[in-house]
Amino acid sequence: MALLHAEEEAKVREWFAELERPVELSVAIGPEETPRAGSGDTDFGAEMVRLCEELAALGEGVTCRVEERPEGFPRFPAVSIRPEGRDVGVRYDGLPWGYELGSLVGAVVEAGRAEPTLRPESRAALEELDRDLALDVFVTPT
Amino acid sequence: MLLAYRFALASERVTATAIEANEFPQLAQELEVWAVPRIVVDGEPRWDGAVPEPEFLRRVLGA
Repeated sequence: MALLHAEEEAKVREWFAELERPVELSVAIGPEETPRAGSGDTDFGAEMVRLCEELAALGEGVTCRVEERPEGFPRFPAVSIRPEGRDVGVRYDGLPWGYELGSLVGAVVEAGRAEPTLRPESRAALEELDRDLALDVFVTPT
Repeated sequence: MLLAYRFALASERVTATAIEANEFPQLAQELEVWAVPRIVVDGEPRWDGAVPEPEFLRRVLGA
């Protein structure tokens, strides 16, 4: 089954064509394990690879790298969205399917910008930050 | 979710992770995720729902 409808795919191609810097999707599929309860025969790692490879095919500036258990991934499968291949702490844990695919696409678009898109007030406040800050956002696909 | 990502992209001090609640039910239960999006700051559940950028900034920096 195709990841995106034709119209959606055309839109994503448009967005990806405007990236100002390359973005790598670094996929961690995790160790082979028994399928989770309720997941049927779904291979979550394989689905993640398919999804990211299909997204990478939609823009020259988007690449996909797959590893089993790279450092820095506490949960699997997961994908780290890396501007110019750098790990800047932007990650999606789990399969971003359904509505949440938009979050992954949006993360690629944002990571592809040369300058952050936050308001000047927010940027100034973050520049003053003197400690690390971990933001986790729990989401569901619907 | 995108706002958290934009914060992380704007500051080396900030990381942002989306966590699919259905796939990690134990973690979701520990953090009392009953509604989404649930925002967790430095491991502490803070609030549910999307808020505008100025309010998001106020809430995360007030953490």
